[in-house]
Amino acid sequence: MHEFSIASGLVEKVTAFAEERAPIRVLKVRLAIGNLMCIQAEQLAFCYNALTEDTPIGGSSLEIEMVPPVVSCTNCGYTGAPKYWEDPQLLSPVPTMSCPKCGSTTEAIEGDQCSIRTISYAQ
Amino acid sequence: MIQTIHAQEEVTEAEMEENLFDANDAQADSNRRVLEKSGTRAIDIMGAIGSGKTTLVTRMVERMSGRARVAVINGDPVTADDVLPIERQGVPVIQIAANACHLDADLVSRAYAKLPIGELDLILIENVGNLICPAEFKLGSNARVVVISVTEGPWMVRKHPRMFLGARLVVINKLDFAGPMGVDVDQLERDVHMLKPDLKVIKTSCKAGTGLDELADALLAL
Repeated sequence: MHEFSIASGLVEKVTAFAEERAPIRVLKVRLAIGNLMCIQAEQLAFCYNALTEDTPIGGSSLEIEMVPPVVSCTNCGYTGAPKYWEDPQLLSPVPTMSCPKCGSTTEAIEGDQCSIRTISYAQ
Repeated sequence: MIQTIHAQEEVTEAEMEENLFDANDAQADSNRRVLEKSGTRAIDIMGAIGSGKTTLVTRMVERMSGRARVAVINGDPVTADDVLPIERQGVPVIQIAANACHLDADLVSRAYAKLPIGELDLILIENVGNLICPAEFKLGSNARVVVISVTEGPWMVRKHPRMFLGARLVVINKLDFAGPMGVDVDQLERDVHMLKPDLKVIKTSCKAGTGLDELADALLAL
């Protein structure tokens, strides 16, 4: 349940943001989570709500945007969506590090982030 | 007449682009710089509970004796079972007994502070037994290794695909049990290469001694 650690870090950052600009009311926090990360959006939102309840940033909502991966291939120069592993056993296609064009191992240039995009607040 | 005026609330949206892992990532970079000073390398070994990480690390310490000055950091929140066999070999070992589902860069930096880093060539960091949580938390190691074993069943790779994406080496352990377990080792290897075509796979059995020399060579070369 590493989402709790991530949510704790998030709450610290949002609280510091609110304290610097006090008195404000934080309304919404928008996160971007790369689809290559092992982070469960629902669990993260649950932890965020539990941690912020009855705190100065309580009542703020968390909006999570999942960012699709972009890979770059040093072998053939391809940049774009990765090859997805599709298999009847897999609930949804799994992004891989394999180049869809030449089959070499690629590097992720997007999809491995977990960042706060924006914080909306009222004075 | 009473008039109620609802003040229009002015909403400001601040652009952030702030990485939630920045504190851990910065500590991981600092951990790496500590090692770079003395040319010491570190390898983060990840895998589920029972995949055989501790036994593999113990066998590696034996095989690296005389070839490299090795230390071990062991993430076991509850027992000292994992450090005792390594201590018996006279190798420095630090146990991180944090009640956590993963190690992080801060915990590892505290372990580094207790090790004679300048006298070491290689630090083997055995992460907490978990095949999901450690993925996002960089420790400042030079490479990550994932250990799976055939006793965990035939679907370990496809059930934890994201764990393998950042790895440099995968160990398929307990090879001697593949027959009794009815696990197709070649299929496990194909699954690994589906995710990352150039990911090196080494098949081992600590009981039969299979693949251990090859693994020691590979770890020393990572």
